[in-house]
Amino acid sequence: MKSALITFLAALAASLPAFADEAAASVEPSADRSALDAEVQGLRREVVDLNRDLFMLEEDLLFPASTQVAVFVSMDVGTFFALDSVQLKVDDKEVANYLYTDREQDALKRGGVQRLWLGNLKAGEHEVTAFFTGQGPNDRDYRRGTTLKVEKGVGAKYVELKISDSVSQLQPEFVVRVWE
Amino acid sequence: MLARLLILAALAPAALAAPVVEEDAIPGLPAVKVQDLHYGDVLFYLYQQDHFDALVRLAAYRDQGKIATQARDSELLRGGLYLSLGQHREAREIFERLLADPSTPQDVRNQAWFWLGKVLYAAGLYEDSDRALRQAAGTLPEDKEAERHLLIAQGLLYRQRYEQAIAELSAWQGPRYWIAYGQFNLGVALVRAGQPERGLKLLDAVGQLQTQYPEMMALRDKANLAIGYAHLQAGEPAAARLALERVRLNGPFSSKALLGAGWADVAAEQYQAALVPFEELQGRDLLDAAVQESYLAVPYTYGQLGAMGQSVQYYEKAISAYDAERSRIGESIAAIRAGHLLDAAMKAGGDGREGWFAQLSTLPDSPESRYLYHLLAGNEFQEGLKNYRALDAMAKNLANWQQSLGAFDDMVETRQQAFRQKLPGADARLATVDVATINGRRDELQGEFEAAVRARDVRALATAKEREQLAMLDEVDAELARPAAELSFDESHAVWDGGRWRAAAADPRGDVREKARLARGVLLWKLDAAWRVRSWQTSRSLRDLNAAIYDARTRESASGRAREGAPERNAALGARVGALSPRVDALLARVGEAKVAQAYRLADIAVRELEDQRKRLDEYAVQARYALATIYDRAAATDAPAKPPAATP
Repeated sequence: MKSALITFLAALAASLPAFADEAAASVEPSADRSALDAEVQGLRREVVDLNRDLFMLEEDLLFPASTQVAVFVSMDVGTFFALDSVQLKVDDKEVANYLYTDREQDALKRGGVQRLWLGNLKAGEHEVTAFFTGQGPNDRDYRRGTTLKVEKGVGAKYVELKISDSVSQLQPEFVVRVWE
Repeated sequence: MLARLLILAALAPAALAAPVVEEDAIPGLPAVKVQDLHYGDVLFYLYQQDHFDALVRLAAYRDQGKIATQARDSELLRGGLYLSLGQHREAREIFERLLADPSTPQDVRNQAWFWLGKVLYAAGLYEDSDRALRQAAGTLPEDKEAERHLLIAQGLLYRQRYEQAIAELSAWQGPRYWIAYGQFNLGVALVRAGQPERGLKLLDAVGQLQTQYPEMMALRDKANLAIGYAHLQAGEPAAARLALERVRLNGPFSSKALLGAGWADVAAEQYQAALVPFEELQGRDLLDAAVQESYLAVPYTYGQLGAMGQSVQYYEKAISAYDAERSRIGESIAAIRAGHLLDAAMKAGGDGREGWFAQLSTLPDSPESRYLYHLLAGNEFQEGLKNYRALDAMAKNLANWQQSLGAFDDMVETRQQAFRQKLPGADARLATVDVATINGRRDELQGEFEAAVRARDVRALATAKEREQLAMLDEVDAELARPAAELSFDESHAVWDGGRWRAAAADPRGDVREKARLARGVLLWKLDAAWRVRSWQTSRSLRDLNAAIYDARTRESASGRAREGAPERNAALGARVGALSPRVDALLARVGEAKVAQAYRLADIAVRELEDQRKRLDEYAVQARYALATIYDRAAATDAPAKPPAATP
């Protein structure tokens, strides 16, 4: 019986995945596999580079710097506010209405900054208004708006809608800031 | 010797148990404070696990000069993103470039050494990785420092330098999460270095971890499995069962643990108890080696109990199950050869981020998908499928751009046409505006105002009506200044005296002069009182005028530039669209070819793996038939109840 058990265990050992030999094999792949992997890597590099060029072309074509305006959303801490959606109006015209997924909310909380809207505006004064909807303190429904007059000049204009925590008031704060 | 081999086999996955390098966090995070909005935009995609989009945006913003403030952070991030996509060469180039640059700050340099070490480790270049990781010693945050330490130790284990690995890990103190990995690997190193007692003691500590983290639970299971088999081999079934019972029933190691527990009971001659784990295994996937073995273990155990009827019954069941599984494998091989395997793999959905792997386990049962999840246990197939999915995503991405470029081409053409059509009208409108003349008039007004301020000329800021009144008073004064003789009768206040006019005895204009003087005084007093307000208002109006003229000049020059540069800009955009189109087409074709080659490769791996499985099932079926024949032979040879065959399984 014991010899049978040892035979069995030896067979079992041979069938275990990620065996030392296999681990070594994964480090030194076969020539065919290596060539194909290298080809995939090369293609991916080219696709990244091409996407970069296309991304820049698309921006230059659709949103030239002279008229470009980008509105970003950021969140600092976010303890007092769970963001559900943002409605953005420029000169009283709705240009974006965005509903956030859990993953996006998490990305904002971790320090990501979302480019909410990229558009074109002619030079001069414009009014940017944002309405934030979500859960405020004590899980209550919360809707707040904030407005800023923006002077659009010759170059691109960047506007940041920042949601932060007011520790003194235990309330969220909504601030609009213009970046040059 | 065999005992050591078995322990090593059970421990083999241990060295790969640390968090996977390529899926790990990216450099510079989460301590990075966003100073460029566009850098934050890259992080927004990164934190959603969308590494490809994050990398594309990072590359574009970098070339557009939009992340100048965080240029060094962004380079570290770019290297990390390439690493996360498995692009080791690019990642290595970036980190090495940062290190070669003498202006790179020390903190960025330390991180670059760490990440270069990880790239080299992932590429299997353990010596180089070791050197790079040691450069970053003592400079990193606690968790990164712990990871650095473990990577060095694991590199030593891969190179079979067990004593060095033991020295590296023995004195190490790190965060609790990482300490468990360190203990595990130290246990592995000790066993491999011929010190199983010390090694198993450490593994036993890991095997009794109290944790809620899935990764740590998996590590605990691995430790217990290794300990269980080690004790089993050492002839200590009670200790083996104790460790194996700690393995979770729903974890990836549960089948092996159940099998080991069953054999521990058999070794302790607890046959009835052994049937419990063995029979539990029979409800599981027959592709699992432990399940396959259990089909032989159950009738063997019944034989040991003297229940030959059940033993025969279960051997027959085993033969039938092996045959059915072989038949299903045959169907699957046919489906894979017909090219249906990857259709099933791509049905798993997902968007290129995490989660798609788990979805493969829930696909509906069909010949092409039945063994997919099992095949993914193999590193070669898993990496191949990752590449295939990446190629598929690239093909879709390029096809989308191909469509967009067509639209871009139309857009440039439309823009050129619109420019040609609108140019005459725009020129006509521009011709009606003379900003230079307006500007000149503004300068005159400014000069007049400044002169008035210097002289405190209150009249200069008088309203139109006040100017009229002042002019009237001037006329009155002029009239009063004329000699009385020059005056007409109407004007001289003459007196009728007995049929003729005669001059009044006294000049009557004295009253009028007094009234005029009074009126002028009142008017000037009013102007003087309003002076401060009016000078401030005028000053403000001139400032507004300045701003308006500045806007007008800016727009005029912008219009001029737009007018002058538009054809060239449109032509340049058209040329860019024209240059990118063939690049997209050519790359799309190459990606398509690579995808086909990858599909063939995956099919070959899958068929090879399934053929091996079928061969193994064949062997098990032969063993079962042999055992069955032996039972029948013995039953036929004697009236006494047959004894179980000794050579099974």
